[in-house]
Amino acid sequence: MPEPLKKPFAGLRVADFAWVGVGPSVSKYLADNGAEVIRVESSTYPESLRRVGPFVDDVPGIDRSGYYANFNSSKLGMSVNLKHQRGPELAKRLVAECDVVTESFTPGTMARFGLDYESLRAIRPDLVMISMPLYGQTGPWAPYMGFGHVLQGAAGFNHLTGWPGEPPIGTGTAYTDFLVPHFAAIALIAALDYRRRTGIGQYIDFSQFEAAVHGLGTAILDWTANGHVQTRMGNRDNEAAPHGCYKCKDGKWLVIGCETEQHWAALKAALGRPEWCDLERMRRRWQRFEEQREIDRHLTFWIEDVTRRAEDPEEIVVEGGEGLRMRKYTSFELMRHLQSFGVPAGVVQSPEDMHADPQLKHRGHYWRLNHTVMGERTYDGPAFRLSKTPSELTKAAPCLGEDNEYVYRDVIGLSEDEFVELLADGAFE
Amino acid sequence: MPDEPTASPLPHPSGPLAGYRVLDLADEKGQLCGRLLAELGADVVKVEPPRDGDPTRLRGPFYRGEEGAERSLFWWAMNAGKRSITCQLKLEGGRALFHRLAATADIVLETSPPGQAAAFGLDYATLEALNPGVVLVSITNWGQTGPYKDYQATDIVAVAMGGHMYLNGDAQHGPVRTLAPQSFAQVNSQAAVGALTALYARGVNDGLGQHVDVSMQEAVANAMDNAQATWDIRRINLSGPGVRRNNTGYTTLKYLYQCADGWVAALNAGGVQGPASTAIIDWLAETGEDGGLATPVWREKLALAGALDDDEREHVERVVGAFCATRGKADLVEEAQRRQSGWAPVFTPREIVESKQLAARDYWIWVRHEDLGESFIYPGAPWKLSETPWKQRGRAPHIGEHNEQVYGELPGLDAAELRRLRMRMVV
Repeated sequence: MPEPLKKPFAGLRVADFAWVGVGPSVSKYLADNGAEVIRVESSTYPESLRRVGPFVDDVPGIDRSGYYANFNSSKLGMSVNLKHQRGPELAKRLVAECDVVTESFTPGTMARFGLDYESLRAIRPDLVMISMPLYGQTGPWAPYMGFGHVLQGAAGFNHLTGWPGEPPIGTGTAYTDFLVPHFAAIALIAALDYRRRTGIGQYIDFSQFEAAVHGLGTAILDWTANGHVQTRMGNRDNEAAPHGCYKCKDGKWLVIGCETEQHWAALKAALGRPEWCDLERMRRRWQRFEEQREIDRHLTFWIEDVTRRAEDPEEIVVEGGEGLRMRKYTSFELMRHLQSFGVPAGVVQSPEDMHADPQLKHRGHYWRLNHTVMGERTYDGPAFRLSKTPSELTKAAPCLGEDNEYVYRDVIGLSEDEFVELLADGAFE
Repeated sequence: MPDEPTASPLPHPSGPLAGYRVLDLADEKGQLCGRLLAELGADVVKVEPPRDGDPTRLRGPFYRGEEGAERSLFWWAMNAGKRSITCQLKLEGGRALFHRLAATADIVLETSPPGQAAAFGLDYATLEALNPGVVLVSITNWGQTGPYKDYQATDIVAVAMGGHMYLNGDAQHGPVRTLAPQSFAQVNSQAAVGALTALYARGVNDGLGQHVDVSMQEAVANAMDNAQATWDIRRINLSGPGVRRNNTGYTTLKYLYQCADGWVAALNAGGVQGPASTAIIDWLAETGEDGGLATPVWREKLALAGALDDDEREHVERVVGAFCATRGKADLVEEAQRRQSGWAPVFTPREIVESKQLAARDYWIWVRHEDLGESFIYPGAPWKLSETPWKQRGRAPHIGEHNEQVYGELPGLDAAELRRLRMRMVV
């Protein structure tokens, strides 16, 4: 039997001081791929997401938040009160046993506890440390507070979301919290790969703002090269038509986005080639762009006409049509119909739809993990499948301080007496 | 801007990935991934079809609105700092040539529809046989297998089927897509994490590469905030809250307010609700614009952050709205931050480029386009690595700009042979 392959990050230990959305999502990549990630938390100053729902049974509790849980799979939990006189020392003793430190506090916070990179490097020379506040370590906004909900405003996402001539709206999420962690993880893993080959650690000054700007597609260059400010335009697109979102009779919304001539030809075929779509003024992409109001009107009527509520019959007899029968579709059936012709079409899937999605089920995107307090809950897995060293969500999120005994005794090496003494003295709170 | 002669792309020997080679055959789903690897020091070679080049060169917007293969701002943004070669993978000679390069590659990025890679010689079995260390990253709409694998997707389809669009929008108009294509931003960045994870795994497993199968739908699914958990736990579908937030099924206060020169993002009505509310209510009271909120009863109610009824919510929003309407976004944000409240401006792309914070961080990079006789401002470092700094490596390549250079590095491929390959439309 050949040796089984090692998980990518097996043998790496991570002290994860980060909190809320961004930081924990970065260390989740490491944890789900073999690293031992230790969440460093405090019951005196609990991590914000532990205090935000959804809570199991709608009962708030530090170990009951699904928000927190989803970003903290496969991790261990330890707690330390950094304001206890021995707290910083304990944190440093942990870092001495770690390869990576992650944190996302406002700049200066780690330094106040003597946990800045320079101090930590003195005890762990090959450490890779990443700091991930909103705006980076320097500049006039470095001390600014906030969350992904407001950062998406500064980073342009609100301006680009909404209907023409109407207010910018949110994306319905703290959007940058779910974009920039991937960028931070890229930097961190690249630094780890460099360390693996050279033995040299380093510090990463990561600004959520600066990474988020890379998610704006062409909006920056369109301004700097063309002097054009891209602005929200509902579901239309600057380059493609038809391009929109249409309501179906079953209450769901269906999107169609045709970018190429093939997509348009496929849509015409799927519609049954009604006369309007073969008009001369519909022939070229830029022409259709000019005609998108009319195209939208036709598509809206057509979708209204061919869709049905789930409880309605699949076929109806056309009135006055001498027994002619007409097929009616639910939103998902219409998506399949359009896709069978090669039309880029999809249903705007609700969270409920996502949980039932056959493709995501096939991919095994959602993991069911059993949590000590929360019971069996659903966790998101990574979007990639590694053929030889697959990611594995090894356990549900930790309860606060769940692994204190392991971390303090086995990793840091406290004696039983010391452990009990510090416990009694509130150092782990 | 001095017009000094520069190598293209600029060398980056101090990057953490210097020494690795990436062959990039990707479309919109993987080009940003390739660019990020180049900026970390990898030698990223874009492989394009001969003559017309990569189809994404025709993706708008275009420089000065004039369509052309060297004028696409999408192409510029996503392919800056790469080399470009042409190679016709539909021809056997092209596949043979590509395979000689693939034998030297660490990562291959490709986005062909599931099941079609073998026809281009891009399937993992073929590449693994040539180069057991290669990491093949295949990025598709839905993944390599499964009931939807052959479905078409453009950005709006992926953000719809990935669940994000359901959370975006408002009750009046229905779901909306964010104009800048977020399914591409998501899948590119998550694919890069997958690629680097596999590269790291290779290092600890005796040089063994593997196949990385990335799904754009799943990448979007990972951006659903707490909506997935909210369905799982509360059986509530969060959806399009407009200027409010999705918050596990409870109606929040507005967080976007119009001000004198645009909009501001101010969570919980600017912090009027929540444990830090006192500071903001004081601010309103100092200017005499608290609208009656600076009373013990209101203060207690707001500090507890309990649920407000519709009338109360409307009142708070009206007070904060009136306060913001007469002030500029910069002043509002600065003062709110001084009072420990996390406000931010709602910036347009232009305002982002003019941001004081980004200027103070030396964020922007002038990139020379010597063919146009101009330089343009590009986004700068998405991360600052202390030992192995990020580097922008110049403009995107022209079609086949590096054919002589890249093919010339292959043993036995001299100028005469390259000419023959060109005649046969292989390159």
